[in-house]
Amino acid sequence: MARPPLMTSPDPRYRLTDWFLKWRVPLRKFLTAKGAVPASDLDDVAQEVFLRLMRYGRTELIEHPQAYLYKMASNVAAEWALRGRYLRSPEPSWLGAVTGAEEVEDQAGHMELQDQIEQALLTLTPQQREVLKLQFYAGLSRTEIAGRLNLSERSVKRALVKSYEKLRARLNTESLARSSDGRE
Amino acid sequence: MDASERRRRAVEEAAEWWVLLQGGEVSRKERENYVDWLRESSVHVAEMLRVAQVHGALEKFERWSQVSTDGSGDAPSTVVPLTTPTHTTGSPLPKYTPRQWRLAASVAAVLLVIAGLTGLLLALRGQVIETQRGERRQVALADGSVVQVDPQTRLNVQYEARTRRVVLERGRALFHVAKNPERPFLVQVRDTTVRAVGTAFAVEEADHTVVVTVAEGRVAVLHGPVTEGPSPATAREETTTASAAMRADKAARPNEPRSAGSAVSEIILTANQQVTVAGAGTAELVREVDSARVLSWAEGRLIFENESVERAVREFNRYNRIQLSVNDAALAQRPISGVFSASDPESFVAFIQSVAAVHVKRNESDDITIEAVK
Repeated sequence: MARPPLMTSPDPRYRLTDWFLKWRVPLRKFLTAKGAVPASDLDDVAQEVFLRLMRYGRTELIEHPQAYLYKMASNVAAEWALRGRYLRSPEPSWLGAVTGAEEVEDQAGHMELQDQIEQALLTLTPQQREVLKLQFYAGLSRTEIAGRLNLSERSVKRALVKSYEKLRARLNTESLARSSDGRE
Repeated sequence: MDASERRRRAVEEAAEWWVLLQGGEVSRKERENYVDWLRESSVHVAEMLRVAQVHGALEKFERWSQVSTDGSGDAPSTVVPLTTPTHTTGSPLPKYTPRQWRLAASVAAVLLVIAGLTGLLLALRGQVIETQRGERRQVALADGSVVQVDPQTRLNVQYEARTRRVVLERGRALFHVAKNPERPFLVQVRDTTVRAVGTAFAVEEADHTVVVTVAEGRVAVLHGPVTEGPSPATAREETTTASAAMRADKAARPNEPRSAGSAVSEIILTANQQVTVAGAGTAELVREVDSARVLSWAEGRLIFENESVERAVREFNRYNRIQLSVNDAALAQRPISGVFSASDPESFVAFIQSVAAVHVKRNESDDITIEAVK
């Protein structure tokens, strides 16, 4: 009836051919690492990452610069979180986890971040908003967005760059950090 | 250049690098420039980390459906919610928490292993997966997603750097999507698109309707003209299923001009919800279903609940070479309930024999005719 499954050994290299995919994982790790990068520390983390980047061979970095960058950043953040745990008394967060208090706080923070993003998006032009919405919500590629909005791909890129710039200025760095250091 | 001006420049450059690097294909020269830029200043590094955080925040944003794009050029708002998104009424959706990310990642990893062991890993680019009557297949896609393809189904897999798109031309399939928010997973049936980030859901194309059922996670069902002619709606309905699917396929390609009149309606489905989109794009209300039961076909089980014998026979015939037929109108309309293995029509026949007075005849190719005893 059903034909027997074809046994093919998967070639892991295939999945990695798209080099973009290679830095997705470190990026994700950087964004979700436990206790990652409190906003006030981000510049310090960056300083440490910067020093490590200088120590690495340039040729090595060039292959997968983004993967290295976010991997280093999540490593530094993790090391610092570990150090922070030694400095701080462990009780409060431990108790919080037991009582669920942290979760409540987490949800409040989550809603607050949602409000902030919503407000920040209002500072964009309608076209910038639409480009972002089509990318993040409708899941369209840039080419598709350009086609749908009758824009050149260059204009779509421009809209994205401007949006990130504005949102970077608008979104308070504290809440961005909160968005990235959610509990596990 | 003072410090704040340096910072402003760094923000701008970081955004530019981010957008360039996100685009996918990046030349060696560009990567060299990028590394040199990073190694120029720790401010550059800091801004690169911040732009990633902005991106992460946008990915977690849950109220896109409420974001107005009025006044965006001459193009109207292209996303109009059909129903109130379910997540606005309750507590925030948990699926974007790190725990969920991790869970999804491990599910994807498990699926990858399963794919490696039992499936076939296909380097799919515009590749067609087609099953015949009686043929069921589990196919591992290049990104680790797994598709369970029902008999008599035809899929066209079009993976691109930024999107994973599967065009369902006919039949039905269950998708276990490997999570990757940078590369949305889209299933397209004519003018209906189902978008998922990391989830399991089924799409069925039958009689000019599209049925979407969600087992896990959340998907968005978008319906709307993907390309626009002067009056496309009626034309679309009159085309045959196959050619309409081809049209949808063609329309999915980038650079197709779209007129300002396009409107896309959207329904958000969460786990254990189902919706049927009719040919004209009219969607029924979202139904609550037991997805494990509704999607039991993916596991090779057929569950009938007060279905007619005729319908049950039709289902069995899709899964098997041995074809059943019922030679009695009254018997064909009799309702039955039961759980059967899809690949075992004999047990179904035995069941019918146990509940009704029937003769069973077999011809030389083992096909079975069920007749009522007169």
